[in-house]
Amino acid sequence: MNHAIEIKDLTKKYGQILALKSITLNVPVGTIYGLIGPNGAGKTTLIKALVGAVKPSSGHLNVLGMNPINDKWALRQKIGYMPQSAALYEDLSAKQNILFFGKAQKIENLNQKTDEVLQFVELTDRANDLVRNFSGGMKKRVSLCCALIHSPEILFLDEPTAAIDPHLKLQSWNLFRKLANSGVTLFISTHLMDEAMHCDKVTILMNGEIIAVDTPQKIIESGKTVLTIKDNGVITTRTIASTPEGLANELLKLGLRASITEISATPDTIENIVLNIIKKNQIH
Amino acid sequence: MKTFIVANRVLKQLKGDKRLLILSIVAPLIIIYFLKLLFDAFPPNVPITNFTIPIGALVVHFLSFLLCAILLVQERTKGTLERMLIGGYKRSSIIGGYTLGYLGLATIQAAVVLIESVWLFDLDYSYNVLILLFFVIWLLAVVSVMLGIFISTFARHEGHVFPFIPLLILPSIFLSGLLINTDELPQWAAFVGKCLPLHYAVNIIHEIIKPVFLISETYFDFAMLGAYVFLLWLCASLSLKETE
Ligand SMILES: Nc1ncnc2c1ncn2[C@@H]1O[C@H](COP(=O)(O)OP(=O)(O)OP(=O)(O)O)[C@@H](O)[C@H]1O
Ligand SMILES: [Mg+2]
Repeated sequence: MNHAIEIKDLTKKYGQILALKSITLNVPVGTIYGLIGPNGAGKTTLIKALVGAVKPSSGHLNVLGMNPINDKWALRQKIGYMPQSAALYEDLSAKQNILFFGKAQKIENLNQKTDEVLQFVELTDRANDLVRNFSGGMKKRVSLCCALIHSPEILFLDEPTAAIDPHLKLQSWNLFRKLANSGVTLFISTHLMDEAMHCDKVTILMNGEIIAVDTPQKIIESGKTVLTIKDNGVITTRTIASTPEGLANELLKLGLRASITEISATPDTIENIVLNIIKKNQIH
Repeated sequence: MKTFIVANRVLKQLKGDKRLLILSIVAPLIIIYFLKLLFDAFPPNVPITNFTIPIGALVVHFLSFLLCAILLVQERTKGTLERMLIGGYKRSSIIGGYTLGYLGLATIQAAVVLIESVWLFDLDYSYNVLILLFFVIWLLAVVSVMLGIFISTFARHEGHVFPFIPLLILPSIFLSGLLINTDELPQWAAFVGKCLPLHYAVNIIHEIIKPVFLISETYFDFAMLGAYVFLLWLCASLSLKETE
């Protein structure tokens, strides 16, 4: 078993609302696993079920070989959870917040560890400022620190990059990759389809159901590429498969001639492809 | 151990919110002062001393309840409560920590109310009586904090706390024996009055401010307040849900 997370037939009902319908998926250790879906897809519910904050209506959950409800105390030492909302104390400083959540676990050199995580998210110079005065993106980073402080084996991040500017977003994903490289498993939800690119594997969730599971490369390959060719000054376009073979085949058919002065290939963005998959499922 | 960490955080938070802190200490001061103005306008034969300390106790009772309930509801809406639980804090530590933290504030409130009342109304109580009075107000504040925690578990947002304000405060004023002896009320009203924790605090206060008082007369009422603390603590622990 090299799965950090195993989910089998997980269903969650809130009264009449079926928030999760028979979800089955596995997450290998040390990967960045993306959970993509529109608002209300059930991302938060799934993450909360995995951290033991939501009781499943039926199905089996296994996180690091443990049950999130029955083995909660043992499990809580090994997982980090960053909720969708900032979930910080506004009247405390960034450092005080991290220390408070850190003190729930036995951590050696907590003070030093706090400084390290603050440095990791580049907030060292604001460490002692009240969270009340922070921007949304800065709060997200403090929140991440609180989830990281006890060096968990799995990190559950619920929309960690929502409302964060593009520069910082890229930085965050670099940070997540650094963590994954050190052996941490990351389970990250997002409603931004283009962020799928940064994951090792993504699950697309809609209306509580999984509608696709794949690597970002495979998802891109399922889309189309538009090839624009300028031959003898005449511009033509054709649509081909977004696979490397697709491009090679097309070029072979064309045969390279001196009259072809320009070739450009524009593959579908992952955002479009995911949106198309979601749209297709809405029709059915 | 973690109880103290939570308590420490609650205190730090209160310290961080200066406006709230100042208001929650100044508000009782102002109310007691208004009470003084009101009582000064009363005819001289009204036994004012029977009302002053009990009303002080009511103010502390009510404010501790409100503050604790609202701050705990905020924890729920902001998600910090969930984060505490998933982060490894136990329910018992959270409830214990909140109680300890708010007692810090309630202790200050109780002292402030007592000192101001004694000074404004020229009350001439012995040290023994003063210490007992302080203890009663303080014990009632413990009840309030527990009640606040308990009520907060039913609220999805701060607004849900407000209906409980008249529900707690009006019967407390009219039925608990603060203004009229509970036994003179119709049976059902007397029953409601006796369900209110303030009733027992008022009983104790009325006994110990007698020129000659019997401490044994207060045992039952102290026991009732203790029972309230225990019962509400139990209810709060059971109603604070960890999972949805
Ligand atoms: N506590 C709750 N009580 C009742 N219904 C709920 C509750 N929490 C979530 N739901 C419902 O479950 C469904 C999934 O909600 P969830 O919060 O998991 O979606 P999400 O994918 O996280 O959406 P978003 O991108 O907006 O955060 C929604 O239909 C929502 O209304
Ligand atoms: Mg969500």
